[in-house]
Amino acid sequence: MTLREILGAIAAGALVLAALPWLASDFMLSLALTCLMYIGLAVTWAMFSGATNYLSLATSAFFGIGAYVTAWGFGTLPYALVVALGGLAAAAFASLVGAGILHLRGAYFAVLTFGLGELVRHAITYSEKTYAHTVGRVLQDAPESTAVYWTVLLIATAAVAACAAVRASRLGLALAGIGADEERAQTLGVNTRRAKIAGFALAAFFAGALGAAVAVRWTYIEPASVFNPFIGFQTVLIAMIGGAQTLAGPIVSAVVFSLLTELLRLQFPYAYLIVLGFLLIVLVLYLPGGLASLISRWRQARA
Amino acid sequence: MGFWLELAASGLITGGIYAVVALGLNLQYGLMRIMNISHGEFLMLGAYLTWLAHTVFGINPVAFLPVVAIVLFLTGLAVYRLCFRRITRTSPSVEIIEARSLLVGFGLMYLVQNAAYLIWGADLRGYSFLADAVVIGDARFAGNSLLAFGFAVAASLAMLAVLRWTMLGKAIRAMMQSPAGAQLVGIDTAFLHPAVFGAGLALAGVAGALLSMVYEITPGMGEPYTVTALIVITLGGLGSAAGCLAGGLLLGLVEAFGMHFTSPSLKMLLSYAVFIAVLLARPKGLFAR
Repeated sequence: MTLREILGAIAAGALVLAALPWLASDFMLSLALTCLMYIGLAVTWAMFSGATNYLSLATSAFFGIGAYVTAWGFGTLPYALVVALGGLAAAAFASLVGAGILHLRGAYFAVLTFGLGELVRHAITYSEKTYAHTVGRVLQDAPESTAVYWTVLLIATAAVAACAAVRASRLGLALAGIGADEERAQTLGVNTRRAKIAGFALAAFFAGALGAAVAVRWTYIEPASVFNPFIGFQTVLIAMIGGAQTLAGPIVSAVVFSLLTELLRLQFPYAYLIVLGFLLIVLVLYLPGGLASLISRWRQARA
Repeated sequence: MGFWLELAASGLITGGIYAVVALGLNLQYGLMRIMNISHGEFLMLGAYLTWLAHTVFGINPVAFLPVVAIVLFLTGLAVYRLCFRRITRTSPSVEIIEARSLLVGFGLMYLVQNAAYLIWGADLRGYSFLADAVVIGDARFAGNSLLAFGFAVAASLAMLAVLRWTMLGKAIRAMMQSPAGAQLVGIDTAFLHPAVFGAGLALAGVAGALLSMVYEITPGMGEPYTVTALIVITLGGLGSAAGCLAGGLLLGLVEAFGMHFTSPSLKMLLSYAVFIAVLLARPKGLFAR
Protein backbone atom coordinates (compact mmCIF):
# COMPACT_ATOMS: atom_id res chain seq x y z
CA MET A 1 0.00 0.00 0.00
CA THR A 2 1.17 3.49 -0.72
CA LEU A 3 1.33 6.10 2.00
CA ARG A 4 -1.78 7.82 0.65
CA GLU A 5 -3.80 4.59 0.81
CA ILE A 6 -2.59 3.88 4.34
CA LEU A 7 -3.50 7.37 5.51
CA GLY A 8 -6.90 7.02 3.86
CA ALA A 9 -7.52 3.73 5.66
CA ILE A 10 -6.49 5.30 8.98
CA ALA A 11 -8.86 8.24 8.44
CA ALA A 12 -11.72 5.91 7.52
CA GLY A 13 -11.13 3.79 10.60
CA ALA A 14 -11.02 6.88 12.81
CA LEU A 15 -14.30 8.17 11.34
CA VAL A 16 -16.05 4.89 12.08
CA LEU A 17 -14.69 4.86 15.64
CA ALA A 18 -15.76 8.48 16.15
CA ALA A 19 -19.38 7.35 15.96
CA LEU A 20 -18.93 4.88 18.83
CA PRO A 21 -20.27 7.15 21.65
CA TRP A 22 -23.74 7.03 20.02
CA LEU A 23 -23.67 3.28 19.54
CA ALA A 24 -21.97 1.71 22.53
CA SER A 25 -22.55 1.63 26.28
CA ASP A 26 -20.33 3.46 28.75
CA PHE A 27 -18.47 0.28 29.55
CA MET A 28 -17.76 -0.43 25.89
CA LEU A 29 -16.62 3.14 25.43
CA SER A 30 -14.14 2.86 28.27
CA LEU A 31 -12.83 -0.42 26.81
CA ALA A 32 -12.41 1.28 23.43
CA LEU A 33 -10.59 4.13 25.08
CA THR A 34 -8.07 1.77 26.68
CA CYS A 35 -7.55 0.06 23.32
CA LEU A 36 -6.93 3.40 21.63
CA MET A 37 -4.50 4.46 24.34
CA TYR A 38 -2.40 1.33 23.90
CA ILE A 39 -2.58 1.61 20.11
CA GLY A 40 -1.09 5.09 20.38
CA LEU A 41 1.57 4.02 22.86
CA ALA A 42 2.54 0.83 21.03
CA VAL A 43 2.79 2.22 17.49
CA THR A 44 4.90 5.18 18.58
CA TRP A 45 7.10 2.91 20.68
CA ALA A 46 7.56 0.66 17.65
CA MET A 47 8.29 3.66 15.46
CA PHE A 48 11.38 4.49 17.49
CA SER A 49 12.46 1.33 19.32
CA GLY A 50 11.28 -1.17 16.74
CA ALA A 51 13.15 0.59 13.96
CA THR A 52 16.35 1.50 15.81
CA ASN A 53 16.61 -1.47 18.20
CA TYR A 54 17.12 1.03 21.01
CA LEU A 55 14.96 -0.60 23.64
CA SER A 56 13.25 2.30 25.38
CA LEU A 57 11.44 1.56 28.63
CA ALA A 58 10.71 5.23 29.24
CA THR A 59 7.09 5.11 28.05
CA SER A 60 5.73 5.20 31.59
CA ALA A 61 7.96 8.21 32.36
CA PHE A 62 6.56 10.17 29.38
CA PHE A 63 3.03 9.05 30.14
CA GLY A 64 3.38 10.15 33.77
CA ILE A 65 4.83 13.52 32.82
CA GLY A 66 1.82 14.14 30.61
CA ALA A 67 -0.53 13.08 33.39
CA TYR A 68 1.16 15.45 35.79
CA VAL A 69 0.83 18.36 33.39
CA THR A 70 -2.90 17.67 33.59
CA ALA A 71 -2.73 17.49 37.38
CA TRP A 72 -1.07 20.89 37.53
CA GLY A 73 -2.76 22.70 34.68
CA PHE A 74 -6.29 21.28 34.52
CA GLY A 75 -8.87 23.67 35.90
CA THR A 76 -6.96 26.81 35.00
CA LEU A 77 -6.27 25.89 31.37
CA PRO A 78 -8.64 24.36 28.80
CA TYR A 79 -8.48 20.58 28.34
CA ALA A 80 -7.16 20.68 24.77
CA LEU A 81 -4.33 23.00 25.72
CA VAL A 82 -3.39 20.84 28.70
CA VAL A 83 -3.18 17.77 26.44
CA ALA A 84 -0.94 19.59 23.95
CA LEU A 85 1.24 20.90 26.77
CA GLY A 86 1.50 17.38 28.24
CA GLY A 87 2.83 16.10 24.93
CA LEU A 88 5.23 18.99 24.55
CA ALA A 89 6.55 18.61 28.10
CA ALA A 90 7.23 14.91 27.51
CA ALA A 91 8.88 15.64 24.15
CA ALA A 92 11.06 18.35 25.68
CA PHE A 93 12.07 15.99 28.48
CA ALA A 94 12.82 13.25 25.94
CA SER A 95 15.02 15.45 23.76
CA LEU A 96 16.91 16.70 26.81
CA VAL A 97 17.47 13.21 28.20
CA GLY A 98 17.97 11.76 24.73
CA ALA A 99 20.79 14.18 24.02
CA GLY A 100 22.53 12.81 27.10
CA ILE A 101 21.91 9.08 26.85
CA LEU A 102 21.20 8.19 23.23
CA HIS A 103 24.84 7.39 22.58
CA LEU A 104 24.51 4.45 24.96
CA ARG A 105 23.68 1.17 23.35
CA GLY A 106 22.06 -2.04 24.40
CA ALA A 107 21.35 -2.83 28.00
CA TYR A 108 22.62 0.44 29.42
CA PHE A 109 20.13 2.43 27.39
CA ALA A 110 17.29 0.10 28.33
CA VAL A 111 18.03 0.14 32.04
CA LEU A 112 18.60 3.86 32.11
CA THR A 113 15.27 4.52 30.41
CA PHE A 114 13.62 2.05 32.78
CA GLY A 115 14.99 4.09 35.64
CA LEU A 116 13.77 7.37 34.13
CA GLY A 117 10.22 6.62 35.21
CA GLU A 118 11.35 5.97 38.77
CA LEU A 119 13.56 9.02 38.70
CA VAL A 120 10.80 11.39 37.57
CA ARG A 121 8.38 9.78 39.98
CA HIS A 122 10.69 10.33 42.94
CA ALA A 123 11.47 13.87 41.83
CA ILE A 124 7.77 14.75 41.56
CA THR A 125 6.88 13.06 44.85
CA TYR A 126 9.66 14.99 46.53
CA SER A 127 8.79 18.37 45.04
CA GLU A 128 5.05 17.94 45.72
CA LYS A 129 5.78 17.08 49.33
CA THR A 130 8.23 19.92 49.91
CA TYR A 131 6.67 22.72 47.91
CA ALA A 132 2.96 21.90 47.52
CA HIS A 133 2.61 19.88 50.74
CA THR A 134 0.46 17.26 49.05
CA VAL A 135 0.85 13.63 48.08
CA GLY A 136 -1.65 13.59 45.22
CA ARG A 137 -4.03 15.97 43.52
CA VAL A 138 -7.77 15.84 43.11
CA LEU A 139 -9.18 16.72 39.70
CA GLN A 140 -12.50 18.53 39.68
CA ASP A 141 -14.99 19.03 36.84
CA ALA A 142 -13.52 16.36 34.59
CA PRO A 143 -14.70 16.67 30.97
CA GLU A 144 -17.45 14.36 29.68
CA SER A 145 -16.34 10.82 28.92
CA THR A 146 -17.25 11.33 25.26
CA ALA A 147 -14.95 14.35 25.03
CA VAL A 148 -12.12 12.31 26.54
CA TYR A 149 -12.85 9.51 24.11
CA TRP A 150 -12.72 11.79 21.08
CA THR A 151 -9.52 13.41 22.29
CA VAL A 152 -7.83 10.04 22.78
CA LEU A 153 -9.15 8.90 19.41
CA LEU A 154 -7.69 12.00 17.80
CA ILE A 155 -4.28 11.48 19.44
CA ALA A 156 -4.20 7.78 18.59
CA THR A 157 -5.17 8.50 14.97
CA ALA A 158 -2.53 11.20 14.75
CA ALA A 159 0.00 8.77 16.26
CA VAL A 160 -0.74 6.03 13.73
CA ALA A 161 -0.74 8.54 10.87
CA ALA A 162 2.54 10.04 12.09
CA CYS A 163 4.12 6.59 12.27
CA ALA A 164 2.95 5.76 8.76
CA ALA A 165 4.34 9.07 7.51
CA VAL A 166 7.63 8.63 9.36
CA ARG A 167 8.09 5.12 7.96
CA ALA A 168 7.91 6.55 4.45
CA SER A 169 10.11 9.56 5.19
CA ARG A 170 13.84 10.23 5.37
CA LEU A 171 13.63 10.15 9.16
CA GLY A 172 12.08 6.69 9.04
CA LEU A 173 14.77 5.42 6.70
CA ALA A 174 17.43 6.93 8.93
CA LEU A 175 15.94 5.22 12.00
CA ALA A 176 15.77 1.88 10.20
CA GLY A 177 19.36 2.38 9.04
CA ILE A 178 20.45 2.97 12.62
CA GLY A 179 18.71 -0.23 13.64
CA ALA A 180 20.44 -2.25 10.93
CA ASP A 181 23.94 -0.88 11.47
CA GLU A 182 24.51 2.44 13.16
CA GLU A 183 28.10 2.93 12.02
CA ARG A 184 27.22 2.22 8.44
CA ALA A 185 24.35 4.72 8.62
CA GLN A 186 26.79 7.29 9.96
CA THR A 187 29.26 6.58 7.22
CA LEU A 188 26.52 7.04 4.65
CA GLY A 189 25.96 10.54 5.96
CA VAL A 190 22.99 10.11 8.27
CA ASN A 191 23.07 12.46 11.23
CA THR A 192 22.27 9.57 13.57
CA ARG A 193 22.27 11.70 16.67
CA ARG A 194 19.66 14.09 15.34
CA ALA A 195 17.53 11.27 13.91
CA LYS A 196 17.55 9.37 17.20
CA ILE A 197 16.62 12.42 19.25
CA ALA A 198 13.86 13.35 16.80
CA GLY A 199 12.40 9.85 16.85
CA PHE A 200 12.67 9.56 20.63
CA ALA A 201 11.02 12.96 21.18
CA LEU A 202 8.23 12.26 18.69
CA ALA A 203 7.37 9.00 20.46
CA ALA A 204 7.51 10.84 23.78
CA PHE A 205 5.16 13.54 22.50
CA PHE A 206 2.39 11.05 21.82
CA ALA A 207 2.96 9.17 25.08
CA GLY A 208 2.82 12.45 27.00
CA ALA A 209 -0.29 13.66 25.20
CA LEU A 210 -2.02 10.33 25.86
CA GLY A 211 -1.04 10.52 29.52
CA ALA A 212 -2.42 14.04 29.77
CA ALA A 213 -5.64 13.11 27.97
CA VAL A 214 -6.32 9.95 29.95
CA ALA A 215 -5.40 11.46 33.32
CA VAL A 216 -8.77 13.22 33.62
CA ARG A 217 -10.41 9.81 33.92
CA TRP A 218 -8.83 9.42 37.33
CA THR A 219 -10.24 11.85 39.82
CA TYR A 220 -7.19 11.48 42.02
CA ILE A 221 -3.67 11.72 40.61
CA GLU A 222 -0.64 10.56 42.55
CA PRO A 223 2.86 9.66 41.37
CA ALA A 224 2.57 5.98 42.25
CA SER A 225 -0.43 5.45 39.97
CA VAL A 226 0.55 7.54 36.93
CA PHE A 227 4.20 6.39 36.79
CA ASN A 228 3.07 2.79 36.84
CA PRO A 229 5.83 0.73 35.18
CA PHE A 230 3.14 -1.68 34.05
CA ILE A 231 2.06 0.79 31.36
CA GLY A 232 5.56 0.85 29.88
CA PHE A 233 5.93 -2.89 30.17
CA GLN A 234 2.58 -3.58 28.55
CA THR A 235 3.45 -1.19 25.71
CA VAL A 236 6.70 -3.00 24.93
CA LEU A 237 4.99 -6.35 25.17
CA ILE A 238 2.19 -5.31 22.81
CA ALA A 239 4.59 -3.93 20.23
CA MET A 240 6.91 -6.95 20.43
CA ILE A 241 4.11 -9.48 20.22
CA GLY A 242 2.52 -7.71 17.30
CA GLY A 243 5.84 -7.23 15.54
CA ALA A 244 7.69 -4.02 16.28
CA GLN A 245 8.93 -3.63 12.71
CA THR A 246 5.43 -3.33 11.32
CA LEU A 247 2.64 -0.78 11.60
CA ALA A 248 -0.37 -3.09 11.72
CA GLY A 249 1.12 -5.63 14.16
CA PRO A 250 1.14 -3.37 17.24
CA ILE A 251 -2.37 -2.08 16.42
CA VAL A 252 -3.89 -5.54 16.32
CA SER A 253 -2.11 -6.78 19.41
CA ALA A 254 -2.94 -3.55 21.29
CA VAL A 255 -6.64 -4.28 20.84
CA VAL A 256 -6.27 -7.91 21.90
CA PHE A 257 -4.16 -7.19 24.96
CA SER A 258 -6.10 -4.16 26.18
CA LEU A 259 -9.28 -6.22 26.14
CA LEU A 260 -7.53 -9.08 27.95
CA THR A 261 -6.07 -6.68 30.50
CA GLU A 262 -9.35 -4.95 31.23
CA LEU A 263 -11.21 -8.20 31.57
CA LEU A 264 -8.67 -10.28 33.47
CA ARG A 265 -6.39 -7.97 35.37
CA LEU A 266 -8.89 -6.87 38.00
CA GLN A 267 -9.99 -10.40 38.74
CA PHE A 268 -6.63 -12.17 38.68
CA PRO A 269 -3.99 -9.43 38.98
CA TYR A 270 -1.00 -11.63 39.79
CA ALA A 271 -1.89 -14.61 37.66
CA TYR A 272 -2.44 -12.31 34.69
CA LEU A 273 1.01 -10.77 35.03
CA ILE A 274 2.56 -14.21 35.42
CA VAL A 275 0.97 -15.23 32.13
CA LEU A 276 2.16 -12.01 30.48
CA GLY A 277 5.72 -12.63 31.67
CA PHE A 278 5.59 -16.19 30.43
CA LEU A 279 4.20 -15.10 27.06
CA LEU A 280 6.97 -12.56 26.63
CA ILE A 281 9.65 -15.20 27.30
CA VAL A 282 8.15 -17.73 24.91
CA LEU A 283 7.69 -15.11 22.25
CA VAL A 284 11.22 -13.75 22.40
CA LEU A 285 12.61 -17.28 22.31
CA TYR A 286 10.53 -18.73 19.53
CA LEU A 287 9.08 -15.81 17.56
CA PRO A 288 11.45 -12.85 17.89
CA GLY A 289 9.84 -11.03 14.95
CA GLY A 290 6.37 -11.01 16.53
CA LEU A 291 3.09 -12.28 15.14
CA ALA A 292 3.56 -10.15 12.01
CA SER A 293 6.54 -12.33 11.07
CA LEU A 294 4.20 -15.34 11.00
CA ILE A 295 2.17 -13.67 8.28
CA SER A 296 5.19 -12.74 6.20
CA ARG A 297 6.54 -16.27 6.68
CA TRP A 298 3.23 -17.68 5.48
CA ARG A 299 3.29 -15.37 2.45
CA GLN A 300 6.81 -16.48 1.57
CA ALA A 301 5.81 -20.09 1.88
CA ARG A 302 2.95 -19.53 -0.57
CA ALA A 303 5.00 -17.58 -3.07
CA MET B 1 32.33 11.25 66.08
CA GLY B 2 30.25 8.18 66.91
CA PHE B 3 27.48 9.50 64.69
CA TRP B 4 29.71 9.87 61.64
CA LEU B 5 31.15 6.43 62.23
CA GLU B 6 27.63 5.00 62.35
CA LEU B 7 26.71 6.81 59.17
CA ALA B 8 29.80 5.57 57.35
CA ALA B 9 29.24 2.07 58.65
CA SER B 10 25.61 2.00 57.55
CA GLY B 11 26.76 3.12 54.10
CA LEU B 12 29.40 0.41 53.98
CA ILE B 13 26.90 -2.21 55.12
CA THR B 14 24.42 -1.47 52.33
CA GLY B 15 27.42 -1.10 50.03
CA GLY B 16 28.60 -4.60 50.89
CA ILE B 17 25.22 -6.02 49.91
CA TYR B 18 25.28 -3.96 46.70
CA ALA B 19 28.67 -5.46 45.89
CA VAL B 20 27.42 -9.04 46.20
CA VAL B 21 24.34 -8.38 44.06
CA ALA B 22 26.38 -6.55 41.46
CA LEU B 23 29.05 -9.26 41.39
CA GLY B 24 26.45 -11.84 40.42
CA LEU B 25 25.05 -9.67 37.65
CA ASN B 26 28.51 -8.74 36.46
CA LEU B 27 29.45 -12.40 36.04
CA GLN B 28 26.39 -12.98 33.87
CA TYR B 29 26.68 -9.80 31.86
CA GLY B 30 30.44 -9.72 31.57
CA LEU B 31 30.72 -13.33 30.53
CA MET B 32 27.69 -13.98 28.36
CA ARG B 33 26.22 -10.54 27.68
CA ILE B 34 23.07 -11.74 29.38
CA MET B 35 21.49 -8.67 30.91
CA ASN B 36 19.45 -10.48 33.51
CA ILE B 37 17.09 -7.76 34.65
CA SER B 38 15.33 -10.29 36.87
CA HIS B 39 18.44 -10.61 39.03
CA GLY B 40 16.77 -8.81 41.94
CA GLU B 41 13.86 -11.23 41.82
CA PHE B 42 16.20 -14.08 42.65
CA LEU B 43 17.57 -12.02 45.50
CA MET B 44 13.98 -11.81 46.71
CA LEU B 45 13.63 -15.60 46.40
CA GLY B 46 16.74 -16.04 48.54
CA ALA B 47 15.26 -13.72 51.15
CA TYR B 48 11.94 -15.58 51.21
CA LEU B 49 13.63 -18.99 51.41
CA THR B 50 15.58 -17.84 54.45
CA TRP B 51 12.51 -16.30 56.02
CA LEU B 52 10.55 -19.51 55.47
CA ALA B 53 13.32 -21.68 56.88
CA HIS B 54 13.61 -19.47 59.94
CA THR B 55 9.94 -18.93 60.75
CA VAL B 56 8.57 -22.34 59.78
CA PHE B 57 11.40 -24.70 60.63
CA GLY B 58 13.36 -22.56 63.05
CA ILE B 59 16.62 -22.93 61.12
CA ASN B 60 19.40 -20.45 61.86
CA PRO B 61 19.62 -18.05 58.86
CA VAL B 62 23.41 -18.17 58.81
CA ALA B 63 23.45 -21.96 58.74
CA PHE B 64 20.90 -21.78 55.93
CA LEU B 65 23.12 -19.60 53.69
CA PRO B 66 24.80 -22.52 51.89
CA VAL B 67 21.41 -24.12 51.22
CA VAL B 68 20.15 -20.88 49.67
CA ALA B 69 23.28 -20.70 47.54
CA ILE B 70 22.86 -24.27 46.31
CA VAL B 71 19.12 -23.96 45.63
CA LEU B 72 19.62 -20.79 43.63
CA PHE B 73 22.59 -22.26 41.80
CA LEU B 74 20.36 -25.11 40.65
CA THR B 75 17.59 -22.64 39.79
CA GLY B 76 20.15 -20.76 37.74
CA LEU B 77 21.08 -23.91 35.82
CA ALA B 78 17.42 -24.53 35.05
CA VAL B 79 16.71 -20.92 34.03
CA TYR B 80 19.76 -20.91 31.81
CA ARG B 81 18.79 -24.17 30.18
CA LEU B 82 15.18 -23.09 29.61
CA CYS B 83 15.63 -19.47 28.56
CA PHE B 84 19.08 -18.16 27.89
CA ARG B 85 20.76 -21.09 26.15
CA ARG B 86 18.48 -20.73 23.17
CA ILE B 87 19.13 -17.00 22.99
CA THR B 88 22.90 -17.31 23.02
CA ARG B 89 22.71 -20.02 20.36
CA THR B 90 20.24 -18.46 17.94
CA SER B 91 21.15 -14.78 18.11
CA PRO B 92 23.24 -13.51 15.21
CA SER B 93 25.12 -10.82 17.17
CA VAL B 94 26.08 -9.81 20.67
CA GLU B 95 23.75 -6.83 20.57
CA ILE B 96 20.81 -9.03 19.78
CA ILE B 97 21.74 -11.36 22.65
CA GLU B 98 21.64 -8.34 24.92
CA ALA B 99 18.29 -7.07 23.66
CA ARG B 100 16.61 -10.47 23.74
CA SER B 101 18.00 -11.47 27.11
CA LEU B 102 16.78 -8.17 28.48
CA LEU B 103 13.25 -8.88 27.30
CA VAL B 104 13.35 -12.42 28.63
CA GLY B 105 14.64 -10.97 31.89
CA PHE B 106 11.61 -8.70 32.03
CA GLY B 107 9.36 -11.67 31.45
CA LEU B 108 11.11 -13.58 34.25
CA MET B 109 10.85 -10.57 36.50
CA TYR B 110 7.09 -10.38 36.13
CA LEU B 111 6.77 -14.13 36.36
CA VAL B 112 8.79 -14.59 39.54
CA GLN B 113 7.67 -11.42 41.30
CA ASN B 114 3.98 -12.04 40.76
CA ALA B 115 4.31 -15.69 41.64
CA ALA B 116 5.75 -14.51 44.94
CA TYR B 117 2.86 -12.08 45.40
CA LEU B 118 0.45 -14.90 44.70
CA ILE B 119 2.11 -17.25 47.20
CA TRP B 120 3.14 -14.95 50.02
CA GLY B 121 0.98 -11.85 49.54
CA ALA B 122 2.10 -8.24 49.49
CA ASP B 123 2.63 -7.90 53.27
CA LEU B 124 5.97 -6.99 54.75
CA ARG B 125 7.57 -10.07 56.29
CA GLY B 126 10.38 -10.23 58.72
CA TYR B 127 11.92 -11.98 61.67
CA SER B 128 14.12 -10.86 64.48
CA PHE B 129 17.63 -12.21 64.38
CA LEU B 130 20.61 -10.85 66.34
CA ALA B 131 18.86 -7.50 66.59
CA ASP B 132 20.73 -6.45 69.75
CA ALA B 133 23.03 -3.48 69.42
CA VAL B 134 26.78 -3.99 69.45
CA VAL B 135 28.85 -1.10 70.75
CA ILE B 136 32.20 -0.46 69.10
CA GLY B 137 33.99 2.62 70.38
CA ASP B 138 31.20 5.13 70.82
CA ALA B 139 29.16 3.88 67.87
CA ARG B 140 26.28 1.42 68.06
CA PHE B 141 25.50 -1.14 65.36
CA ALA B 142 22.82 -3.78 65.00
CA GLY B 143 24.45 -7.20 65.30
CA ASN B 144 22.67 -8.55 62.25
CA SER B 145 23.84 -5.80 59.92
CA LEU B 146 27.46 -6.28 61.03
CA LEU B 147 27.07 -9.98 60.33
CA ALA B 148 25.51 -9.27 56.93
CA PHE B 149 28.36 -6.92 56.09
CA GLY B 150 30.94 -9.50 57.12
CA PHE B 151 29.37 -12.20 54.99
CA ALA B 152 28.89 -9.86 52.04
CA VAL B 153 32.55 -8.88 52.02
CA ALA B 154 33.60 -12.50 52.58
CA ALA B 155 31.45 -13.67 49.65
CA SER B 156 32.87 -10.97 47.38
CA LEU B 157 36.46 -11.74 48.41
CA ALA B 158 35.91 -15.47 47.94
CA MET B 159 34.57 -14.81 44.44
CA LEU B 160 37.55 -12.56 43.74
CA ALA B 161 39.96 -15.24 44.91
CA VAL B 162 38.29 -17.89 42.78
CA LEU B 163 38.49 -15.66 39.73
CA ARG B 164 42.09 -14.68 40.31
CA TRP B 165 43.82 -17.80 41.51
CA THR B 166 41.99 -20.91 40.34
CA MET B 167 42.01 -22.61 36.96
CA LEU B 168 38.24 -22.16 36.79
CA GLY B 169 38.59 -18.45 37.46
CA LYS B 170 41.24 -18.18 34.79
CA ALA B 171 38.92 -19.83 32.29
CA ILE B 172 36.11 -17.43 33.20
CA ARG B 173 38.38 -14.41 32.84
CA ALA B 174 39.63 -15.72 29.52
CA MET B 175 36.06 -16.00 28.29
CA MET B 176 35.32 -12.46 29.42
CA GLN B 177 38.29 -11.22 27.43
CA SER B 178 37.66 -13.16 24.27
CA PRO B 179 34.88 -15.73 23.93
CA ALA B 180 36.19 -17.10 20.65
CA GLY B 181 39.80 -17.20 21.82
CA ALA B 182 38.79 -19.04 24.97
CA GLN B 183 37.03 -21.69 22.93
CA LEU B 184 40.10 -22.08 20.72
CA VAL B 185 42.30 -22.94 23.71
CA GLY B 186 39.84 -25.60 24.80
CA ILE B 187 37.67 -23.91 27.41
CA ASP B 188 34.36 -25.72 27.68
CA THR B 189 31.66 -23.06 27.19
CA ALA B 190 28.84 -25.58 27.31
CA PHE B 191 29.85 -26.27 30.90
CA LEU B 192 30.99 -22.81 31.98
CA HIS B 193 28.04 -20.74 30.77
CA PRO B 194 25.37 -22.43 32.86
CA ALA B 195 27.72 -22.79 35.83
CA VAL B 196 28.60 -19.10 35.84
CA PHE B 197 24.98 -18.12 35.37
CA GLY B 198 24.07 -20.31 38.33
CA ALA B 199 26.87 -18.82 40.40
CA GLY B 200 25.49 -15.36 39.64
CA LEU B 201 22.06 -16.33 40.93
CA ALA B 202 23.62 -18.03 43.96
CA LEU B 203 25.30 -14.73 44.85
CA ALA B 204 21.97 -12.92 44.44
CA GLY B 205 20.31 -15.47 46.71
CA VAL B 206 23.00 -15.08 49.38
CA ALA B 207 22.57 -11.32 49.23
CA GLY B 208 18.82 -11.76 49.68
CA ALA B 209 19.31 -14.10 52.62
CA LEU B 210 21.61 -11.54 54.27
CA LEU B 211 19.11 -8.74 53.62
CA SER B 212 16.30 -10.73 55.21
CA MET B 213 18.23 -10.76 58.49
CA VAL B 214 18.35 -6.97 58.54
CA TYR B 215 15.27 -5.62 56.76
CA GLU B 216 11.67 -6.62 56.23
CA ILE B 217 11.03 -8.29 52.91
CA THR B 218 8.34 -8.01 50.22
CA PRO B 219 7.97 -9.63 46.79
CA GLY B 220 8.80 -6.27 45.19
CA MET B 221 12.06 -5.79 47.07
CA GLY B 222 14.33 -7.03 44.30
CA GLU B 223 13.72 -4.47 41.57
CA PRO B 224 15.64 -1.54 43.10
CA TYR B 225 18.60 -3.84 43.71
CA THR B 226 18.77 -4.76 40.04
CA VAL B 227 19.04 -1.11 39.10
CA THR B 228 21.57 -0.49 41.86
CA ALA B 229 23.59 -3.47 40.69
CA LEU B 230 23.78 -1.99 37.22
CA ILE B 231 24.97 1.30 38.65
CA VAL B 232 27.65 -0.53 40.63
CA ILE B 233 28.79 -2.45 37.56
CA THR B 234 29.07 0.82 35.67
CA LEU B 235 31.05 2.33 38.53
CA GLY B 236 33.39 -0.61 38.86
CA GLY B 237 33.79 -1.44 35.21
CA LEU B 238 32.31 -4.25 33.19
CA GLY B 239 33.67 -7.66 34.07
CA SER B 240 35.81 -6.42 36.93
CA ALA B 241 35.14 -8.19 40.22
CA ALA B 242 37.38 -5.98 42.33
CA GLY B 243 35.76 -2.93 40.75
CA CYS B 244 32.38 -4.32 41.81
CA LEU B 245 33.42 -4.53 45.44
CA ALA B 246 34.92 -1.05 45.45
CA GLY B 247 32.01 0.41 43.44
CA GLY B 248 29.43 -1.17 45.74
CA LEU B 249 31.03 0.16 48.89
CA LEU B 250 31.48 3.57 47.28
CA LEU B 251 27.84 3.78 46.21
CA GLY B 252 26.73 2.74 49.70
CA LEU B 253 28.79 5.57 51.19
CA VAL B 254 27.57 8.12 48.64
CA GLU B 255 23.97 7.17 49.40
CA ALA B 256 24.39 7.24 53.17
CA PHE B 257 26.10 10.64 53.25
CA GLY B 258 23.96 12.06 50.45
CA MET B 259 20.77 11.08 52.26
CA HIS B 260 22.06 12.59 55.47
CA PHE B 261 22.82 15.93 53.87
CA THR B 262 19.71 16.11 51.66
CA SER B 263 16.69 13.91 52.30
CA PRO B 264 16.03 10.15 52.45
CA SER B 265 13.42 10.43 49.70
CA LEU B 266 16.19 11.55 47.34
CA LYS B 267 18.08 8.24 47.57
CA MET B 268 17.02 7.10 44.12
CA LEU B 269 17.85 10.48 42.61
CA LEU B 270 21.32 10.32 44.13
CA SER B 271 22.05 6.87 42.73
CA TYR B 272 20.86 7.96 39.32
CA ALA B 273 22.91 11.12 39.43
CA VAL B 274 25.98 8.97 40.14
CA PHE B 275 25.02 6.55 37.38
CA ILE B 276 24.52 9.20 34.73
CA ALA B 277 27.59 11.15 35.77
CA VAL B 278 29.79 8.05 35.51
CA LEU B 279 28.27 7.00 32.19
CA LEU B 280 28.93 10.42 30.74
CA ALA B 281 32.36 11.05 32.23
CA ARG B 282 33.95 7.60 32.54
CA PRO B 283 31.87 5.08 30.61
CA LYS B 284 34.43 2.33 31.20
CA GLY B 285 34.19 2.64 34.99
CA LEU B 286 35.93 4.70 37.63
CA PHE B 287 38.93 2.44 37.87
CA ALA B 288 39.62 1.90 34.18
CA ARG B 289 43.10 2.75 33.04
